[in-house]
Amino acid sequence: MEKPKKKTVLLFYCVETEELARKVAAQSNFIQLQSINWRSFDDGFPNLFINNAHDIRGQHVAFLASFSSTSVIFEQLSVIYALPMLFAASFTVVLPFFPTGSFERMEEEGDVATAFTLARMLSNIPISRGGPTSVVIYDIHALQERFYFGDTVLPLFETGIPLLKQRLHQLPESDKIVVAFPDDGAWKRFHKLLDHFPTIICNKVREGDKRYVRIKEGDPAGCHVVIVDDLIQSGGTLIECQKVLAAHGAAKVSAYVTHGVFPKKSWERFLHKNDETEKAFTHFWITDSCPLTVKSIANKAPFEVLSLAGSIADALQI
Amino acid sequence: MSAISPPPPFPSSTSKTPNKTRNSLSTPSKYKINCELSSSAPQKWTIDCVSSGEPIHIILKPPNSIPMASSSLDSSLKNSKRVCLFHCSEMKDLAHRIASESDAIELRSITWRTFEDGFPNLFISNAQGVRGQHAAFLASFSSPGVIFEQLSVIYALPKLFVSSFTLVLPFFPTGTSERMEDEGDVATAFTLARILSNIPISRGGPTNLVIFDIHALQERFYFGDNILPCFESGIPLLLNRLQQLPDSDNITVAFPDDGAWKRFHKQLQHFPMIVCAKVREGDQRIVRIKEGDPKGRHVVIVDDLVQSGGTLTECQKVLAKHGATRISAYVTHGIFPNKSWERFKHDNGGNPESGMTYFWITDSCPDTVRQVKNKAPFEVLSLAAAIATALQV
Repeated sequence: MEKPKKKTVLLFYCVETEELARKVAAQSNFIQLQSINWRSFDDGFPNLFINNAHDIRGQHVAFLASFSSTSVIFEQLSVIYALPMLFAASFTVVLPFFPTGSFERMEEEGDVATAFTLARMLSNIPISRGGPTSVVIYDIHALQERFYFGDTVLPLFETGIPLLKQRLHQLPESDKIVVAFPDDGAWKRFHKLLDHFPTIICNKVREGDKRYVRIKEGDPAGCHVVIVDDLIQSGGTLIECQKVLAAHGAAKVSAYVTHGVFPKKSWERFLHKNDETEKAFTHFWITDSCPLTVKSIANKAPFEVLSLAGSIADALQI
Repeated sequence: MSAISPPPPFPSSTSKTPNKTRNSLSTPSKYKINCELSSSAPQKWTIDCVSSGEPIHIILKPPNSIPMASSSLDSSLKNSKRVCLFHCSEMKDLAHRIASESDAIELRSITWRTFEDGFPNLFISNAQGVRGQHAAFLASFSSPGVIFEQLSVIYALPKLFVSSFTLVLPFFPTGTSERMEDEGDVATAFTLARILSNIPISRGGPTNLVIFDIHALQERFYFGDNILPCFESGIPLLLNRLQQLPDSDNITVAFPDDGAWKRFHKQLQHFPMIVCAKVREGDQRIVRIKEGDPKGRHVVIVDDLVQSGGTLTECQKVLAKHGATRISAYVTHGIFPNKSWERFKHDNGGNPESGMTYFWITDSCPDTVRQVKNKAPFEVLSLAAAIATALQV
């Protein structure tokens, strides 16, 4: 079967994803890095210029976005709305981490779903010569969020799990690894991708006023347990899981999350301090979907960054 | 809010020079208000004060004979539609003023919080109570960072079975400094218009979008079909204020450039006019008077907005040089990034080249309004009445 011809892609990026963009471009000769001038006017509003805009005509174009805070959304959105209108042959937005919606619950009328706002803004990207824009997202938090997007965009839902599997196979004790899910939600999201590992499922049960993490199914005794989830915020849940697993005899506990959100430097509580004999997490894997975190923690033990660059480069060929 | 009735009008004088009287009214609270009354044109006007523990802002309520109100503000309740008015945090003061303009407008609240990751955690109180009601949201996009949280509410409100939805965005930012000159220039005004054009429609059809003195007249075409932009102006507020001045018969309006003239001359037709222009002289650009004569006049420079104030200052110098006795300024939107309003000093008389008699702004930019409180020459003309009227459309 003949493989489809590789297409040349012009890759634009925002200020915070520059490092990841360089890694993506390094993966393939078909991906060329382009540049944008990101400045602001005195009133704080963006003053943006897409360099070599004429070169875009007839080319496949992509933009590597990162919405780490609300203040960077508008400037990136302005570029995202402008690029497809420059006669690009196709347009793809890569948004590794889709924020909002990780905390919010639609429980009452009056709750405002900001995930809906963001999906709506992305669904309104102008179409290009190549049709609807593709929006590539890794491990979206709520599976239903895929339905928030309108018909004028083509969401492509990817996952960072293959990177974890690859890394696990490199470990010396790869036959004694057990995967643990902190709750049913994580199990639903990931168990099919990890079904050749024995699994443990935890959950939170109510005891009076408090909620405790318990092991629902599975046995960690003597194993290297890897807790898997899509993202981490304060890390509270993960720490509770680790304690319970250790208490039930886990030999080592590690963790993987695709998105190391870690607001307010909450990653600090996981660092290996030099004088500690006991290290709670042996390995802590995150991807580079949250560039600000990656910058802060670099590769401070136990953290290890697994890069999405290869996966993104492949997705750009779709 | 306390309403203070004006002292009885003075007997009209046949003298040409108006009698200026200074009255001090002490309110029951600890604030003092000074007002100037002209005996030559006794008019009934009230001073409305916003008191919520903060120093008083003098906001003039226009007399009833204003040209702008298509429906009288005193219209009986059964002719006006009841509107539930929501607002962002920074527009709280203006929202209260609007609600006080009419019994048909009811203030509603939203809880604005953030999650740990910095993203908004929002709740619309009593959402069920908005069903079948006309709803409105008073927004202010003073910086890119506040857009997302307000937009989330704006996208959510129309879907709560409201009978209609109006978005009041007094100042439409972006597009004031940008120029589309090269392919590669990114028009953020287009981004904002697109985002607003994508507001879900409600039971009442497309959203009504109220904007005051939009900067570039072409921006009206940036909006899609699912939104109904309603372009209003703050100039009627200026007209009222000018008519109240003791030297109202000696006023000439000046425009800093052709753009301002195009925008406003029709609304200011009965004043003599001056048009300025920037001309190139070698490497420099200098402001010149293109048409009109300021000699002996109280010149009021009119523009839609002010940023650093550089252009206004240059106009002021040229006008003073050519004999203006007093210079004032009006802009609808006092953006003043980085406190640039500080460069505008008060002229008590005789120094038009270095100070202004009045500098009028509206309350479209709430952060500036807070900063220039009680600082001469600034006076804030409130859009409250104009917005209350627009909500009845």
